[in-house]
Amino acid sequence: MTATSHRSPEPATQPGGKPGQDQPRRTQPRRPGPGLYPWVMAGSIAVAVLGAALSLNGVLRGWAWFMPLITTVVVVSLALAGLRALGARPILATLGSLASLTGVLSFIFCRQDSLAGFIPTPGTLTAVGRLIKRAGETVVSESAPVAPNAGIVFVMCACLGLLVILVDALAVPLAMPAASGIGLIAIMVVPATIKPQSVGMPGFLGAAVGYLLILGCSHWFAPDARFQTGTGRGSGQFRRSVVTGGLALALAMVVPLAIPGFETGTFPQGSRLSPWGTSNGLNPMITLGNSLRSPIGSGRITYATSSGSALYLRSVTIDHFDGETWAPDDRAAQRRTGADRIETGYSVQGDVVNAVTSVNAGLFTSPYLPVPFAPASVNGLNGNWTWDPQTLSIMSSETTTRAQRYVVFSAAPKVTAKALAQAAPTPKGISDDFLRIPNGLPEIVRQTADAVTRPAANNYAKALAIQKYLRSGEFTYSLQAPVQNGYDGNGLSVLADFLAVKSGYCVHFASAMAVMARAEGIPSRIAVGYAPGRLTGESVALVGQGSFPEYEVDARDAHAWPELYFEGLGWVPFEPTPSRGVVPEYASESSTAGNLSTNADEKDVPTTQAPPATAPVPLPGVDTPATTTASVNPYPAMIAIAAGVLLLIGFLCSPRLSRSMLRRRRLNRKPPGDSHDGPPGSADAAPQLAWDELQDLATDYGVESTPSETPRHFSAKLRSSPALGEVGGMDDAAHAAVASLTSDFERQRYGRPAETAPAAATRIAVVRESLRNNATWLVRFRADWLPPSMMRRWVHALGAPFRAVGALGKWLGWKVARVWRALRGLLPERR
Amino acid sequence: MESKRQVTVEPSPLHDQAYSERPHDGAALNGHKPQVMDADRFHDASERILASIGQVIDGKADAAKLALTVLLAQGHLLLEDVPGVGKTLLAKTLARTVDCTVSRIQFTPDLLPSDVTGVSIYNQSSRQFEFRPGAVFANIVIGDEINRASAKTQSALLECMEEHQVTVDGRSYQLGLPFMVVATQNPIEMEGTYPLPEAQRDRFMARISMGYPDKDAEIEMLETHQASSPLVNVTPVVTANDVAAMIAAVQQVYVSTAIKEYTVAIGRATRDSARLRLGASPRSLLQLLRAAKATAALDGRDFVLPDDVVDVAESVLAHRIILDRKATSSGDTPQSIIRGILASLPVAQETPGQGRRDRHTA
Repeated sequence: MTATSHRSPEPATQPGGKPGQDQPRRTQPRRPGPGLYPWVMAGSIAVAVLGAALSLNGVLRGWAWFMPLITTVVVVSLALAGLRALGARPILATLGSLASLTGVLSFIFCRQDSLAGFIPTPGTLTAVGRLIKRAGETVVSESAPVAPNAGIVFVMCACLGLLVILVDALAVPLAMPAASGIGLIAIMVVPATIKPQSVGMPGFLGAAVGYLLILGCSHWFAPDARFQTGTGRGSGQFRRSVVTGGLALALAMVVPLAIPGFETGTFPQGSRLSPWGTSNGLNPMITLGNSLRSPIGSGRITYATSSGSALYLRSVTIDHFDGETWAPDDRAAQRRTGADRIETGYSVQGDVVNAVTSVNAGLFTSPYLPVPFAPASVNGLNGNWTWDPQTLSIMSSETTTRAQRYVVFSAAPKVTAKALAQAAPTPKGISDDFLRIPNGLPEIVRQTADAVTRPAANNYAKALAIQKYLRSGEFTYSLQAPVQNGYDGNGLSVLADFLAVKSGYCVHFASAMAVMARAEGIPSRIAVGYAPGRLTGESVALVGQGSFPEYEVDARDAHAWPELYFEGLGWVPFEPTPSRGVVPEYASESSTAGNLSTNADEKDVPTTQAPPATAPVPLPGVDTPATTTASVNPYPAMIAIAAGVLLLIGFLCSPRLSRSMLRRRRLNRKPPGDSHDGPPGSADAAPQLAWDELQDLATDYGVESTPSETPRHFSAKLRSSPALGEVGGMDDAAHAAVASLTSDFERQRYGRPAETAPAAATRIAVVRESLRNNATWLVRFRADWLPPSMMRRWVHALGAPFRAVGALGKWLGWKVARVWRALRGLLPERR
Repeated sequence: MESKRQVTVEPSPLHDQAYSERPHDGAALNGHKPQVMDADRFHDASERILASIGQVIDGKADAAKLALTVLLAQGHLLLEDVPGVGKTLLAKTLARTVDCTVSRIQFTPDLLPSDVTGVSIYNQSSRQFEFRPGAVFANIVIGDEINRASAKTQSALLECMEEHQVTVDGRSYQLGLPFMVVATQNPIEMEGTYPLPEAQRDRFMARISMGYPDKDAEIEMLETHQASSPLVNVTPVVTANDVAAMIAAVQQVYVSTAIKEYTVAIGRATRDSARLRLGASPRSLLQLLRAAKATAALDGRDFVLPDDVVDVAESVLAHRIILDRKATSSGDTPQSIIRGILASLPVAQETPGQGRRDRHTA
């Protein structure tokens, strides 16, 4: 075409250089001062990580955890930047930042155990072990948002500090800034899976802005011009990047608003990151909520009793209240073996109601034996079971309840309102443990207790007042509210939240009543077990007692209730949870019983739905068919679908988009040109870019180029291939275009310097048109949507980490060999 | 030039300028700077030469072109093949196409070095020793069956081939321009041959195996060569000065850094190859590049492309490398190994993704 008519007198200093090999040599002398780059880069990484960490608000309660985090991230970033600025080798920079992370963590969390405040000692290690254990307990036991205790904050700071190092390693020495997004996503995965409101706007914005900063920095400031594109540094490109980035961010903000279901989390609410959801032997207070929320009733227990009235099965007693978590105190030292004769550790006056209960534990698996209160003897048990005279909880450390069938003889004191009212105000013969209030009792608890019990005269009245208060219309039963408001779990802080929000389930009601009772001087504890179950319609014959109707309970009947100690009567159960269980006669004072209902079992259990098909004839009022409550939250599915569709669209479009962007970048550039591939200072890299484009185009349409191929050979191959059509026909123009592009490229690359080729865009377009017309629709489709040239690049990029590891291994091997040789040289020579 | 020492040799067909005593000067061969031929005339001249050779040798255009390339690149040509495929014919035709002096040496076991270079004899009348130039004093020297001569005689050619001069009795005589040795040899496995030593082989720019002509060419050959020798019809189409100007034009061909790198990469690859006992020497790379320049010029270009290097690489390198015993026994030939190296070596162009990787590892 017009290859020679457009020559310009512009001289080029170094024509036809081979960038692939020249580059390292050329960049060597440019190395002396990295300048601003390390600082800006470290700053961007810190911004990105801290921004992404914003999304952790809600996983951890409050903002108290953010200060230590900022300290950690900033110190690590500064260490990285400083080492880079001093010109340390990449591996040294990474190691140094690790050391700085260790130091800052020691300083923040284990200052006393560390040398000079920040140098770790063996003592630090044990402290760290403690912190990690605590974090583990927190993760297992509490659901988001958790209180930011030292353990969890330590783990978070350590993880994010490591992430800073990882992101930095990806972005700077490995030169894969785009891949550093993985680190940021890793941060946001946690809130996305745990928090009901997912990542949230600030976290997303922060992470996105930081990520863009990282990309921008590696583009603009890269010291060895690795990604630099010469004049591309001008304001035009900056403006374009800002506009593009801003638009993408805005879209990401707006689209979720338009599509429903985006504002909630992805996973069923209230789930913890604990793989053992309903584990056994764990704190029953914690697993209870999960049992209640479980959609299927697992662990079915059937029992038949002679007691004639609703029966609570009681398996554990929670009496050990400390501030963080409440747990059963097993009192291993005081336990006694042999469950066939059980004695209460306190004296009971008055009548006793005896009952015989036959229990079939079925598949229910627990170290604690569910028995009616108060067991006098248990027969028919397999294995070795022990019991605690203080709490009467029966447990085994060797075996479980699974497949146990046993008969319990129970003797509950006959409790009447009158007896209760006459009970001595100061209980005797009871351990102080049951009166101990942990330190840091929230003020609201004591205030509420005082306010509620002010008119009450005696302990019984106080207990009734508390129960009445909790069962009043102010409180609602909800399995979800604690999760959504972030006070699911047990502990004093949870209690405060519960009393403020006034919504929760049995754990909250029971613990509130227990703690308020203690605050008023009444010994209390929490019993965990099962609320009265449903009739199965069958009857079971009990030896010597006749035949009795059979009841069943399962995980959804799991319940907790407070027991208060009254002198002379022992432990007396109360029922503060509205709409659950049965309020005992003595506890339902005629004046207060008006609004109590005993038949509203499970009225408000949103996520639990009894499988109606297999449900037996229900007791009156039990389990009104859960029509008002949708079974499973529909949002996760919708989110998943919407996100999947979006992802899919993005995924499908991305090769085409990036391919056409690459094409535009190569062809629509201004004459002075950036030095994309050519050596810096060369007048014109356009033919090179056009040639790259031609090669990629040919690759897309099935004509591959190989590295050992000369341009002329490739050109001939392309022209003789059926992809371009035959010479002399309508594809003549394309043939001419290929030939002239080839000669332009050859001239630019191998010819004398100072030659400027004409713009290639039109010729490329001609070639493309011709290729398209000659291709089958399948090839056309592939070239459009899955351009092989692009795919190859990506596959290549994906392999980069592996190659890096390989190169590192090679390098290490080489070093080791050298050291070995050097060492051998030191050895005395053998004569 | 005025001090040029004239040597009169009665029976010699040599021109006065065919040799001189003046030491060799790289920039100004033969004592004066030849003119540079411009592109159009270069093209015409080369076309004429090739057409003329084509008249005689049927179906061997490649060999003819390579022979011309070697001539223009100031190299020497080794024609190796079984007897009777036209080695000598090609050499003679090339020589006759150019209007220049030609001498022919039939190498035999009893040929002496002085037969090649020349000898000083005592002139009774002038009472002086007089230099009688040998056969090598010509523009084109045809050395027939060079491997039949003893090693001593073979090496007599060494000096003149490399340095374009002859030293006899401590006196150096400059050879003319163009100067080209076209040697033919039978494959070394044949009886009564002394294989050329490596040092001598390295001095030949290229080796061509003529190979048998294809069927049609052979039939035509039988027809046309029946009556008379085809050489009769060959007339010179260019003068020696024209050839010198063409050589000067070839020297002006531009070689980019990328091409130099590619050439060096080829050389290094032969040295690193596990299947070669001896790789390409630096001199061979120099000659490779010169041959590539001539190829580029013949193609009408003023710069070298990788294709030019690839085109001549096999002919230029194959006779210099020595195969490992293992490679020989596995059926490899030098040609196949050079081809393999060329096929695996990235040309001096950046392939997608590769450049970045290079920079990563750097």
